[in-house]
Amino acid sequence: MCIEPCRDVVCTFWSILNQGPMTLTITLHTLIVLPMVWIYFDEKKKMERGDIPTE
Amino acid sequence: MHGNRLYEGQKLALKYYFVAMVLFGAQLLFGLLAAIQFLYPDFLFGILDFSINRMVHINALVVWLLYAMIGAVYWLLPDEAQREVVGIKFGNLAFYVLTAAVAVVVLVYLFIQVGPGKESTIWFITEGREYIEAPRWADIGIVAVVLIFLYNVYATVMSGQRTGILAVLMADLIALAGLYLAGMFYTDNIAIDQYWWWWVVHLWVEATWEVYVAAVGGYILMKTLNANRKVVEMWLWIEVAMMFGSGILGLGHHYFWIGTPEYWWEIGALFSALEPVPLVGLFVHVLYDWGKERGKGNQINNTPAFAWLTVETFGNFLGAGVWGFMHTLPQINLYTHGTQWPAAHGHLAFFGAYVAILIGAIYLALQKKAGLEKLKMSKAGWWAISLITVGVLFMTVALTLSAYTQTMVERGMYGATWEGYFAAQANEWFWQGMCWRLITGLMVIAGYALLMYDMIRLAKKAPASEAEVSTAAA
Amino acid sequence: MEKVSVWSSNRFWRRSATWVTGVSAVLLILLTFDSMAQMKMGTAADLKNKVDKRIPSPTVINYKIDYQLSRARGHEVPIIGGMDANGKSKYEVKEKFFGRDNYSEEEARTLIHKGKLTIQAKNCMDCHTFLGNGAYYAPDLTKAWLDPTWETLAPAYGGKEYAIAAFLQNPPAMAMHERKMPNLGITKDEAKAVVAYLKFMSAIDTNGFPRNFGKIKGAVNAWK
Repeated sequence: MCIEPCRDVVCTFWSILNQGPMTLTITLHTLIVLPMVWIYFDEKKKMERGDIPTE
Repeated sequence: MHGNRLYEGQKLALKYYFVAMVLFGAQLLFGLLAAIQFLYPDFLFGILDFSINRMVHINALVVWLLYAMIGAVYWLLPDEAQREVVGIKFGNLAFYVLTAAVAVVVLVYLFIQVGPGKESTIWFITEGREYIEAPRWADIGIVAVVLIFLYNVYATVMSGQRTGILAVLMADLIALAGLYLAGMFYTDNIAIDQYWWWWVVHLWVEATWEVYVAAVGGYILMKTLNANRKVVEMWLWIEVAMMFGSGILGLGHHYFWIGTPEYWWEIGALFSALEPVPLVGLFVHVLYDWGKERGKGNQINNTPAFAWLTVETFGNFLGAGVWGFMHTLPQINLYTHGTQWPAAHGHLAFFGAYVAILIGAIYLALQKKAGLEKLKMSKAGWWAISLITVGVLFMTVALTLSAYTQTMVERGMYGATWEGYFAAQANEWFWQGMCWRLITGLMVIAGYALLMYDMIRLAKKAPASEAEVSTAAA
Repeated sequence: MEKVSVWSSNRFWRRSATWVTGVSAVLLILLTFDSMAQMKMGTAADLKNKVDKRIPSPTVINYKIDYQLSRARGHEVPIIGGMDANGKSKYEVKEKFFGRDNYSEEEARTLIHKGKLTIQAKNCMDCHTFLGNGAYYAPDLTKAWLDPTWETLAPAYGGKEYAIAAFLQNPPAMAMHERKMPNLGITKDEAKAVVAYLKFMSAIDTNGFPRNFGKIKGAVNAWK
């Protein structure tokens, strides 16, 4: 019900992900933003260890 | 400290600024001619047709912004890196070559105008691709000049101080220059033509130029308010993340209707919807810094530069952010695409995002050239900023009214045919908007005249003696 | 342990900015590869085999072109050579273009090559819009080939391609509005090539832009 068949001229990976207003965008945003969480904790660890020279 | 003495790089910046301001005048003049033709189509018909005026109007804008942008980099580069610009001789040579090339291109635009449908026209007269009409020979020349510019920047930073602002600019400028290459080829396939054309146009004005502005804005904040470098650079990195994060894939909002796959609807709509966010950030940041420094009892070192920076943040948010968002969703864009909507958005966005800040950067340079510790807004300067800002703001409102009418009548009621197009153009609500656009355009031109008067007066001031500095500061 | 603030660390934001920019650029490049493959110009064989292409072969000028609502796509699509019961192109019905409907792939390509060069050489985009991009001083040309105005003029010129070509060679002589198109010195050959390009362009699948093209005639005027 929630999954729409692809209706574009050619159906590729991206067109299948394109399910209305959000799916493709959410996928791409997640891909972009999620690793920032890892960067955050990595930085935090380094700062706590005092690995970072003061700028 | 280098004191009041100018670096060679900064002297070159002044030359770039001078040509930029002259071309700004040309932009306004040809804009005026085109605006008159909207109301009186016989005006200069067959001599300087709308297509030519409109092309020169926008090309002059793009070129003067680029001149001022290059100028601002040459200005802040030695100051930030704490050393003279490396290879300044080549930099100077490049300036004269570029200026000569621009002059030839404009003369050909004005006097030859169009050519036969052959490759030779693309090479020597016009490429006929909106905004980047410059013929191919000029493209190649521009690339050569830009390479020299990049060499100046990179060589200077490598051997000098490497600040956060310079790091952002180095990455940004190489992307900016590289993207120009995407517009330097010919194809029979108009869909692919426009696909890559947008790489130049969008990834310039909605990504790399915005990041450029954030970097230069940071520099102006430090100079006018003595803002804290660490805070400015932290904001700068946040803005880079948000601008590139939304702007690069926001490119999709130009890929709704040009023969591209449907998935761009979703990508373009929702990434570009986030494009205003960093612009709000920029706005809040500047006002916050201002309030903080005022709270400490600090004065602004250069009120005209700071005033223009404030206009920039406000205009950028309103023009690029709000006016852009208004027609970025595909369901709305289906009807607004190709109407006066982009014209309304474009006028406020370019003024807000780029024109205002670059005028601020020029004021910053004029202050140092005149050797003034503090620069206060003059009466002419105040009238200039007021007339230009209010003029562009009202012009945008006028164009928006016309745009609404065109969208509803031509697209909604008539289904986009020729009959519909002319029905909308003849509608009273449409052409009255065009009248107001002309009137507000004259306001902007009056403001420009005062701005030039104010700037030339400042530029003619010999570097001040100690006594003068203290009176000006008092 | 020392209390640290990552949020106000320049390093954290610098790394994030670098990551965000890099991954966005990579995604854009991946999407571009996908789009480029879909936007490649089709061939005469595609038309013969009834393969839908976003940008068809230039030999599409041999066919009758229409623009109709597709129920499946939810918007209007170009219909080439007649429409079947499912609202899809049949690629069957031909239409004479300057007296012929048998242009070879090479002939058609040469024609639209000249057409596109002429469109650029005459700066058409600084008054008109193509696929909605350009200036707003003159009508959009995306579906100009299908515009009802030409249908009304066609009989007097022996076909709409002749009418458009005559107009292009001396626009002021056939001016329909106070805002006239100037004479740009377009030759007979160039005019024919430009008309071929307009016909070819009207067959590009633009995801339903412009909406309702030519469907509504003389509708309500807000003023009169």
